[in-house]
Amino acid sequence: MSEHAVVVDRLEKVFQVPERDPGLVAATKGLFRRKTREVRAVDAISFTVDQGEVVGFLGPNGAGKTTTLKMLSGLLYPSGGEGRVLGFVPARRQREFLSRITLVMGNRNQLQWDLPALDSYELNRAIYRIPREEFAPLRDELVELLDIGDLVRKPVRQLSLGERMKAEIVGALLHKPQVLFLDEPTIGLDVTMQKRIREFVADYNARYGATVLLTSHYMADVEALCKRVVVIHHGRILYDGPLAGLADQFAAYKTIGVALENGGADLSRYGEVLHTEGDWITLRVPKAETSSVTARLLTEEQVLDLNVEDPPIEDVIELVFAQERPE
Amino acid sequence: MRAMLGTMRAELVGAGGVVERNAYLTKRYIWWDLAWFVWTVANTLTIVFIAKGIEAEGGTLDVNETMSTLLIGAVVWAYLGILFEFLMETVAWERWEGTIEYTFMAPLSRAMHLAGQGVFAVLYGMLRATFLFVICGFVFFDLSMPDAQFFAAFVVLLVASVSFIGIGMMMSVLPLISPEKGTQLGFVAQGTLLVVSGVYYPVDVLPQWMQWIAVFSPATYALEGVRAAILEGAPLSALWSDIWPLLVIGAVSIPLGLWVFSRGETYAKRHGKLKRSG
Repeated sequence: MSEHAVVVDRLEKVFQVPERDPGLVAATKGLFRRKTREVRAVDAISFTVDQGEVVGFLGPNGAGKTTTLKMLSGLLYPSGGEGRVLGFVPARRQREFLSRITLVMGNRNQLQWDLPALDSYELNRAIYRIPREEFAPLRDELVELLDIGDLVRKPVRQLSLGERMKAEIVGALLHKPQVLFLDEPTIGLDVTMQKRIREFVADYNARYGATVLLTSHYMADVEALCKRVVVIHHGRILYDGPLAGLADQFAAYKTIGVALENGGADLSRYGEVLHTEGDWITLRVPKAETSSVTARLLTEEQVLDLNVEDPPIEDVIELVFAQERPE
Repeated sequence: MRAMLGTMRAELVGAGGVVERNAYLTKRYIWWDLAWFVWTVANTLTIVFIAKGIEAEGGTLDVNETMSTLLIGAVVWAYLGILFEFLMETVAWERWEGTIEYTFMAPLSRAMHLAGQGVFAVLYGMLRATFLFVICGFVFFDLSMPDAQFFAAFVVLLVASVSFIGIGMMMSVLPLISPEKGTQLGFVAQGTLLVVSGVYYPVDVLPQWMQWIAVFSPATYALEGVRAAILEGAPLSALWSDIWPLLVIGAVSIPLGLWVFSRGETYAKRHGKLKRSG
């Protein structure tokens, strides 16, 4: 078997999206002549994910993340190219493939709205052929880890968004999938629960060697879990590499933090002063000038402490997302 | 061989899971369903009363037999309605709630998934049809059916159900593609099927072209067989002329239903029709 759990090769998805002008006249015209626009949601992207790897799949809304994950789960058929997961072509719906993957979508639900989560878990047990002696302990362990013991007997419709997400995650992992497609799994959760989910995913990855492809708008999720990120925008991959390398490629500046003996001095001649906190001053300087500015600071000022950092990941991502669609 | 048996067993367990889930969902709305059952009873009564109305207007007819004939038509109509409703509503329901994508990701063959839906629909539909028949026929009208072979009638309806499920599978594609309006078209199938099948009248009163269509409708044989068993006391052995066409139509409609559904699923997956939004 390939060492890659996920292979995406020039995968693309094109939708024909109907559109019309507002108003009754345009609506009537639409009865006879429907206007559509071609939307290239995923535009010939290629990447691989190794077995056991946790990769952040980042992009702004409408970038093509969910479409890609759905194609890899077999819920959408590609318009071109190919995706393979654990060696399987997702669209073929082979039992062995479906039994080994899961997809958690923060804004969708697999649990039946009207039933307690426990009933849906039972359905999963039947469908995924989970032996009873394995099912009950694993279910109880997951329920305990996510602290939803008193919620799984309530109809899902009565749970809050965060509570529902936790119940969804339990349902998605009962069959111990080897590949997890997590599409904003922490959406709507409070900070404590986001942290718990992150720890939980990390633990699951470590314990079962599972492969994880994670999308999230919370950079804390990505920083905590992913050494590598794939950035997609307008359906195309802009970056595929270490999270740490993202700033090297996209950030045009670095930040220099400095503490001076004569704290409070004006350092604006060295770069843009971002903020001053006590004796600590943070400067933003163009990346190309970082070395020279650092050298000047050390020679011209009485420096007590100094460090050079990449800008915060949120700022880098914002820079990446701000890029226009290449022609 | 062993692996095949294992897979078959797993598929059956999965289908059993679908039946169980539908049982839970039905239980969740059981009081609403009972209220809906009152409407079904009222609707059936309005049809059965027609026989009394004709007699009151001076018409000459065997009131008991005519009422029984109409009652059987109305019960089969209601049964078919429940069957189609379940097969289509569960798809529409899952589309609305957004769970259909997960259902389609489950490692269960589409045949077993839809069979699970169909089996529950038959069980629940039979239960309702029995209550409807008893309430209207015996509690409300005190009809006399001294020769009735209820078991034979039950078997005919059960065999017909296979064909009905096949047709229901084809109709389930509609809410898959349009949850807003698709379910309504199920009523078109139900109505069309029954109007050509002699639901309240003999098929030979229909125009010739409709009689030709009636030959291919499983409801024709279901109605004929059930009426023969209940009104004429025909035993199961005498109903073979109704049962074999049902077996043939069933053998065709189930694979055809699966094929149509798989075409619809492919279309939905190609055009991104499984999602509600986003």
